[in-house]
Amino acid sequence: MVFDKEGEVFSIQTINLTKRFAKKKHRGFFGFLRRNQSNNKHNDVTVALDRVNLSIRPGELFGLLGPNGSGKTTTIKCLSTILIPDEGTTLVNGFDISKETSMVRASLGMVVGGERTLYWKLTARDNLMYFASLYKMQRRHAKQRIEELLETFQLSDRADERLEDYSTGMRQKIAIARALLHDPPILLLDEPTLGLDPGFARQIRSQIRELSEKQGKTILLTTHYMDEADQLCDRVAFINNGKIVAVDTPNRLKAMVKERELVEVAVYRPPADIEGHIRSLLPDAEVVKLIPGDEDEGNPSRIKIIGGTAEEQMGTVIDALRQRNVRIGSLNVGVPTLEDVFIKLTGAKLTEGGT
Amino acid sequence: MLKSSPQQFALRSNLLVVWNEIVKNIKTLLAYPTIIVFWAIFPIFWFIPFILQGQAFVGGLESASFAQLTGSGEYVPFIVIGAILNSYVNTLLFGMGENLRKEAYQGTLDYMLAAPCNKAYVLIGKAISESLSSTIFAISQLAISVLLFGMSITLGVIIPVFFIVILLILGLYGMSLIMAAFSLMYKQSHDLSESIGYIFYIFAPVRYPIESLPTWAQIFGKLIPLTYALIIVRSLMLLGTDLSTVYLEVIALLIIDVALLLAGFYLFSWMEEKTKKSGVISHH
Repeated sequence: MVFDKEGEVFSIQTINLTKRFAKKKHRGFFGFLRRNQSNNKHNDVTVALDRVNLSIRPGELFGLLGPNGSGKTTTIKCLSTILIPDEGTTLVNGFDISKETSMVRASLGMVVGGERTLYWKLTARDNLMYFASLYKMQRRHAKQRIEELLETFQLSDRADERLEDYSTGMRQKIAIARALLHDPPILLLDEPTLGLDPGFARQIRSQIRELSEKQGKTILLTTHYMDEADQLCDRVAFINNGKIVAVDTPNRLKAMVKERELVEVAVYRPPADIEGHIRSLLPDAEVVKLIPGDEDEGNPSRIKIIGGTAEEQMGTVIDALRQRNVRIGSLNVGVPTLEDVFIKLTGAKLTEGGT
Repeated sequence: MLKSSPQQFALRSNLLVVWNEIVKNIKTLLAYPTIIVFWAIFPIFWFIPFILQGQAFVGGLESASFAQLTGSGEYVPFIVIGAILNSYVNTLLFGMGENLRKEAYQGTLDYMLAAPCNKAYVLIGKAISESLSSTIFAISQLAISVLLFGMSITLGVIIPVFFIVILLILGLYGMSLIMAAFSLMYKQSHDLSESIGYIFYIFAPVRYPIESLPTWAQIFGKLIPLTYALIIVRSLMLLGTDLSTVYLEVIALLIIDVALLLAGFYLFSWMEEKTKKSGVISHH
């Protein structure tokens, strides 16, 4: 545990956590001859985490939300000691990640990379037994714990089958069971429901909730599924381009745009300048954002408008779209979601690359 | 009830890491049934062509000129011992780097690195499992030599030979740590392993006595642990000597082992730190 100046207790605390990566430039076979052309070292560096400050309380289910490449996985890899940060202080369960690595590792369980990160040619039991030994668990204790976890995840009857015969959702359950083997107080879950069918995703979410509520685990969850974060998390941090842009409860974050009405129009083949055109017609709107869809997959593009009066906006938008011969799929006036908050704060949507 | 001391607990948990690493690698290997065919049949092809070639050159299984260089005219056991010990070089040099690269590719390397155990024990487990498959190869090759070429083995030499094989494995373990370090940083060590494998094959007396090499090459060859292992094992098995006769070679092998192990551990830790800083640790 970490105490701040006011005596508040934290399970995870990062102070100005910074991580930079060298950019890989492919200069071709004779590239070394051209190496000195760029003397600006700053151009050769990507700042993956830029002075990240997070304070997560014991037993809290904390969501870290951001688009791909925003720094979510890098944060988890720094916390779990897989990467060494360049700057800042990070304490996990009271231990400094750069000085007390063994204690940090023993305090954490993680799910990163999903179902592929297991040995598919081994059985579920063999996999768990192997990872238990990496956590210095004695054989008898490990066996007992593995039985408990297989029971919890309803996989006891298939424990001696190779993972190659499991479904994606079942393998993900084993990945979560692995994180729980040594009963750590803190869990780092990186996109735990990614690629799962809705049934398995629901089961995993309910297990995550249970781990937080009944077992008091501190959980740092990264996801870009807004509904998931909204349902599960006590507090949420938005991360974009390696920077934390907001931290609060989902309700308080949504309140930032709640007073404003939200209009969402599904459109087919919108012209590239439609976003700017509508913005020029709606000076009162705080956000006008075109979110490209995938029409071949049946997902039209969406235009989101936050702020102003929905009634006035609808008429203006419909007129503007008709003038440009844009086909309208549907039109909704709705309640803002966490994604809308993220759009308002960053101008980017969560399912695209960082801005 | 007796309670374990912290040292006993640490030792037991470290041994468990080694054991589970071996079990994992062996079970994964056995999940591919064709490996058995490979183990049983492939060794024949490794040395039979050289024996047949030798027979064609000297017109039999013994050679007077060969006896002048090695002290024994029978070249078949000479070649068999060379092939067997060299197979440890191949599996250990290639095995460790490839094994780590595979772990990085499937994402399990991150979990190893994020676990509190000492990674050296994971690597020891990997080296032992690679050595076990070499030993199965060695037994196959010996069995073929006894059955097809009438090679005889004195039971008394088994323990000293086993001791020398362990010393060879320790030196190769140091080298395989160096390969593993390269694998962490550059995501492949295959070319380097292959180059070192060829250097060993040429400069160590695998297929010919070291005296066949020019003087400068003999000096270079004496920096290679395989050279001493071959000289000692052949002396024990073919000339009927004991370890006291070849104690200088045993000491040289021990010194090279220590140097390689120290270099291997240092380089691996250095590369691990470097790749964790640069972020390439999880790449594949």
